Amino acid sequence: MKTNYLRFTRNFTAALLMLAAAVQAADNWTRYDAQPTGSKVKIEGTSTIHDWTMDGQIIGGYVELDPAFDASPKPGKVGARAQVMIPVRSLKSGKASMDSVMQQAMKQDVHPKIEYRLTEMSLKEAPKSPDGPYQFDTKGDLIVAGVTNKIAMLVTMERAEKTKLKFSGSTPIKMTDYGVTPPAPKIGLGLIKTGNDVKISFEWITSQRAATAK
Amino acid sequence: MKKQDSLTEQNRRDFIKGSSLATLMMLMGGVPLRAEDKPKTEEGTTYKTTGAPLNCAMIGCGVWGRELLKELSRLPNAPVVAICDSYEPFLRRSKESAPKAETFADYHKLLEKKEVQGVFVATPSHLHKDIVIDALQAGKHVYCEAPLATTVEDARAIAQAAQAAGKLHFQVGQQLRSDPQRHFLLQFVRTGAMGKTAMARAQWHKKQSWRRTSSNSEQEKLMNWRLSRATSPGLIGEIGLHQLDMASWFINAHPVSTTGFGGLIKWNDGRDVPDTVQVVVEYPGDVRLTYDCTLANSFDAEYEMYYGTDAALMIRDSKAWMFKEVDSPLLGWEVYARKDTFYKENGIALVANATKLKDLGKKATEDAGPAEETPLHFALEAFISSSTAISTAVEDFASTYDVSDKKALAEYLAGIKKTLMLDKPWAGYKEGLEATVTALKANEAILKGQKVTFQKEWFELG
Repeated sequence: MKTNYLRFTRNFTAALLMLAAAVQAADNWTRYDAQPTGSKVKIEGTSTIHDWTMDGQIIGGYVELDPAFDASPKPGKVGARAQVMIPVRSLKSGKASMDSVMQQAMKQDVHPKIEYRLTEMSLKEAPKSPDGPYQFDTKGDLIVAGVTNKIAMLVTMERAEKTKLKFSGSTPIKMTDYGVTPPAPKIGLGLIKTGNDVKISFEWITSQRAATAK
Repeated sequence: MKKQDSLTEQNRRDFIKGSSLATLMMLMGGVPLRAEDKPKTEEGTTYKTTGAPLNCAMIGCGVWGRELLKELSRLPNAPVVAICDSYEPFLRRSKESAPKAETFADYHKLLEKKEVQGVFVATPSHLHKDIVIDALQAGKHVYCEAPLATTVEDARAIAQAAQAAGKLHFQVGQQLRSDPQRHFLLQFVRTGAMGKTAMARAQWHKKQSWRRTSSNSEQEKLMNWRLSRATSPGLIGEIGLHQLDMASWFINAHPVSTTGFGGLIKWNDGRDVPDTVQVVVEYPGDVRLTYDCTLANSFDAEYEMYYGTDAALMIRDSKAWMFKEVDSPLLGWEVYARKDTFYKENGIALVANATKLKDLGKKATEDAGPAEETPLHFALEAFISSSTAISTAVEDFASTYDVSDKKALAEYLAGIKKTLMLDKPWAGYKEGLEATVTALKANEAILKGQKVTFQKEWFELG
């Protein structure tokens, strides 16, 4: 029953968000949707044995930008909205056994996605060319394993092929901040302990809605 | 964790430069644990290292089908939910390993079951095609026993269907391709550590009739499909295929031609399939494999050998040894490795699972005993984890993007399959078609007593 309730809440929230998105679309901001190819996400961590990484290629969501910013980017606060999500299962370590451990640690069955919501974005300085790179100081909510934390992150934006935007950035996080116990699986004869500190980095390709196949 | 990415691209220099036993373990993705690293009293987290379960079904519950069921019952995430055979006593016997499975006489009915996710096809080889194609069309992951089929046309049809079903996992029962020991050994061959490949030799000797008995004479006839040329690809197709496939894999080429010989020496009981066969398979660059397979004598059982200008490699019972030439370069680590004596030769043990030895430092010189798990175990593990991983990849993609973009999904899945392959490798439709073509043509050479030259297009999907 609990799961059903959670599912309901999640669906209901999603419906609200979609409604909100529909309202926002009316204000003429340019919407860029996540593209199914070219995105990369990487999680880097440590353990008592050696460093490890998990890689993914699925980053969903959208970004909306104030057309005023598109016309003449000025340093300072930028009108922008963004929602990003990454399916936990799409993160691969290269070892099925470790993927399984990570998915359990991140409570994937209840919280199948890592989510991010932008709350504030400001341009650090005018870019050298209209194509960028643009550097932003951002603030937003990062939701991992159902736990929300506010994070600040330096994000770089580049324009490609006119209609495409590539965002990249990285942020350190502590697993315990999100209620995740650093996995210490017993593999073979040894206990492998993973470190609490990990780094998430990403390259995210988005494209103007008109250009997508939808 | 991604160290094995460059495994196949390694060159000999890198290989020898880093050739300590620990490095070899690392290259295989293993974790070298020495006695002093062993944890004292620490408690780990309770996360499981096995992935999500896959509901399995077996079609064809004869001797080999039941062997598969037995092995599946040892896996923690492979519940068998359905079994199918036209012969009821086989279903009854299968229940020992799959007590909860629903039984079917008609495989079409089994394929209608929604909860069945992965299907094993272990029927007589000549019956594979329709079942495999129907199973793929029903959206099931498929593990098809080797050979794929008994004709090149059927084998190609299966491979094409598997290629077209990109959202599903397709695996062929060439379990040696999943054997960690052979992957470990492959590096010695591919990196040139054994010198230039000169030739290969392999054998399978077992004194047994290959005949199966039943109180039901009609059933007995069906069960002995292997003994009739009309339904059987012969010893080379049913058994030799695996070792021929190993040779093509290790030598890294398609065969150029094959000659073959066969005779009915011991079991002249009305069958028309030879009980003793010998083939010479030629590869580019004058490299040849000589292979013999017999039901008349059991001496030295089965093994494969690769001869290079610096060393010979032998693999038997999923264990391997290297026999070095006196003038070959010193690799370093072999000084400390265990040696086994084979009559007058000293074999340096090449132990892929040395990571599992309790105290590598102390006991590396002792025989590890028989391999803990069989190649079949690893093959089934690969099937379960790849099938679930591909299903979840399709779901994750569909929940994030527009699925009408078939090209992007195909690209994504190709990347996922590549990652999975490095972790738990398997033989896919391409390897299946190549091995089946090689074995069927070798059988043709045996039966006709003629040399068969391979056409490049036989190996292609068309």
